[in-house]
Amino acid sequence: MIRAKTYQNAKVQARSNPELAWWVFMRVSGLVLVFLVLGHIYMTFIAQNDIASSEYSVVINKLSQPVWKFYDWLILALAGLHGLNGARYSIEDYGKTQQARFWIKTTLYTVAGALFIWGSIGLFTFNKIA
Amino acid sequence: MYKGREGQWAFFLHRFSGLAILFYLMIHVFSIGSAAISEDFYNTIHGVYKSPIFSLGLVLVASGVLYHALNGLRIIAMDMFGWGVKIQRELWYVTMFLTVLGGLLTLVLTGMRILNGGEA
Repeated sequence: MIRAKTYQNAKVQARSNPELAWWVFMRVSGLVLVFLVLGHIYMTFIAQNDIASSEYSVVINKLSQPVWKFYDWLILALAGLHGLNGARYSIEDYGKTQQARFWIKTTLYTVAGALFIWGSIGLFTFNKIA
Repeated sequence: MYKGREGQWAFFLHRFSGLAILFYLMIHVFSIGSAAISEDFYNTIHGVYKSPIFSLGLVLVASGVLYHALNGLRIIAMDMFGWGVKIQRELWYVTMFLTVLGGLLTLVLTGMRILNGGEA
């Protein structure tokens, strides 16, 4: 993990190019997610507070529209990668042994990969009727 | 943990909220994605969320998202601008103030939703 305040420092500290790329990715995806996720919470939780936004018919109706498929899939992909890389930083910091770190990461990536496929299927199953 | 000041708490809360959000995201994707299986399956899973524990969790995770978003912007400001480092402590207090404010708002909205008979 890189503990740097500027891109220049990060570049010096980075052990590898991928590590530097992840440092940049966390900033860029984070900035995008601020708007995507707060917008998502506003639309589903604050703007429609009077109805149950998690009701099956409401969810199906929303997910059958291409714009929300794309919007939600973008959050799924960006938040998934951002979250997994953040979790990786924590595992590298707090995992006691090399073996423990390896197995925690392997389990996490497997579960996350399965959920990514599960979520993508959920998003692209429903199409608008009429 | 070290005997740091605001920066230490900002870092700790950023990690903690980040891991909590990832945990929520995984549950959220699982339960919304279950709609593709069947309506019954979806409703069975969502029936569990009517318990008050989940309503409280929703308020906490919404506050966590707000904190993580605002503190993330603070981190970017520190990375990119001199003034970001100069006023990082003040920015953290602004972050905390807005997080508490937003947290109280979601608490009120969730409470109203429960009182109206809808699920949180």
